[in-house]
Amino acid sequence: MSKVNACVIAGGQCKFGVREASYIDMVQEASKACLDDLPDLKPRDIDGLLFASTYVGRNSCQVNPAPVVAERVGLKPTSICTRVDVLCAGGSSGILLAQGLVQSGMAEVVMVLGSEKLYTPERWQIQYGEIAASDHDWDAPQGIGPPPLWFAMQAKDHMKHYGTTREQLAAVSVANYKYGFNNPKGHFQNELTIEEVIEAKEIAAPLGLFDCCPLTDGAAAIIIASEERAKDLSGRPLVYLRGGAQVSLHSVTANWPGKHLGDWPHMKLAAEKAFERAKLSPEDIDVAQVHDCFSISQIIELEELGFCKKGEGGPFMASGQTNLAGKIPVNTDGGLLSCGHPLGATGIRQGVEIFKQLQGRAANQVKGARFGLTHNLSGVNVEHTIVTYGREPKK
Amino acid sequence: MKGVPILEGKYSNILDMFPIECKEFNRIYKFYNNLREGRFTTTKCKGCGKVSYPPRVICPECYSEELKWIDLPTKGKVVTIAEKWRGIPICFTPPLIDAWIQFPEGSPVKHILSRLINCEVGQVKEGDEVRLAVFDVPSHPMDKGKESIMMDRVFFAFEPVK
Repeated sequence: MSKVNACVIAGGQCKFGVREASYIDMVQEASKACLDDLPDLKPRDIDGLLFASTYVGRNSCQVNPAPVVAERVGLKPTSICTRVDVLCAGGSSGILLAQGLVQSGMAEVVMVLGSEKLYTPERWQIQYGEIAASDHDWDAPQGIGPPPLWFAMQAKDHMKHYGTTREQLAAVSVANYKYGFNNPKGHFQNELTIEEVIEAKEIAAPLGLFDCCPLTDGAAAIIIASEERAKDLSGRPLVYLRGGAQVSLHSVTANWPGKHLGDWPHMKLAAEKAFERAKLSPEDIDVAQVHDCFSISQIIELEELGFCKKGEGGPFMASGQTNLAGKIPVNTDGGLLSCGHPLGATGIRQGVEIFKQLQGRAANQVKGARFGLTHNLSGVNVEHTIVTYGREPKK
Repeated sequence: MKGVPILEGKYSNILDMFPIECKEFNRIYKFYNNLREGRFTTTKCKGCGKVSYPPRVICPECYSEELKWIDLPTKGKVVTIAEKWRGIPICFTPPLIDAWIQFPEGSPVKHILSRLINCEVGQVKEGDEVRLAVFDVPSHPMDKGKESIMMDRVFFAFEPVK
């Protein structure tokens, strides 16, 4: 049996933000944006659906949402129709699973669709819902679920061990908001200064309002197809899924795997496994989307991915190395900080941005980009998911 | 607030951030009974000796069901501390103070993330000693035959050693 390669052929998202729309409305908007990206692609061409969402059960009172979603967006899946819930990494998990389904011959054209309605009619319920995001019986009773406290401690430990400064944290928000300025579908379209970030209201010191990604409603969709179908359906350059990894070493915070809270060995392992499977190294990556749920997260992620040395993420950010002219452009559509973070949709938004970058049609285009990467952490930093993309398949 | 059951003091299981601890619902109920006695405990495998936290009903190493309860330290030192004023889940009052606590040398569980209670912001510093503090959490109703009875609950945090 000859090897089947999996390709991305289309992608799109709805407007992210505080939306006057339900999860199922946004699902329809995102799938339209996705199919409008490749007008020759029709719903009848798609034989599989993976629907990524975490809070659809709690916030929208809909369990088993996949058939509901399939019906509303005009799909009649015959290979797979299921929900994926990995919180912040649901979308990327769907992309990894779609790659496996296509490469195994189980499916030919799969839509991975993510949607999250986080703004409940009454806002007091949001933080109640978020308490379910941690290991419920052990960490939720400590007030962890809403993640800022935990990440504030990770920032403090990183500052303590590596000398990372408040200004260097702020540099992440400034850089990502700058990229998001020309992304009309993101949550925010404004630039920030270092002073504005530092002087913003405190959420959990050292993290202020702009160091934290906002709560966001949104949906995004991407199409993964076999190389043969991709050539039939798309006249654009092909973008191949190369390889990825998802690593989970613990759940309860007490079982944290690092030497300290600024040390993320589970992410380092995910990066090593993903690069090994993709036959790539950090130096090969031309553009990356990393999980900047907090400014500190991006700093540590750049280190664990190998884009800079351990402990040097702060100076790396402050010297502009993630800008278009820097060593590795990162979060070129604004990232979670500026686009917002509708959990299940986020990994798909990131994948769509890398897909457009590798086809040479991104808003903040990295010239000649050939290889890209996306990363998500999920829950209270209990799992890491990495997907790699390339203009050529793995040999 | 009228019309919002949980704010009228009515129980809502799906919005509960505390475990359902009672024997009728939970096979590790002994952990909570031990907490009531001021003991912080977990399970150890009688076969392979693996200590697991949180407590289990099987050993995650050798899958034995032969486990025993052991005591963990009830004092530790604060490694890192953080406070949060906004976005606090209902049932907690701001500021929410949490700490990453290191247990003494030799403890099978090295660290724990815990809320700090009975203290003001700024009172506890890195390196300070804190101890286990057990407190009552809201009871919940449970169906027993045709009756609904209230089940008491406790949970733990840490507090400064005065």
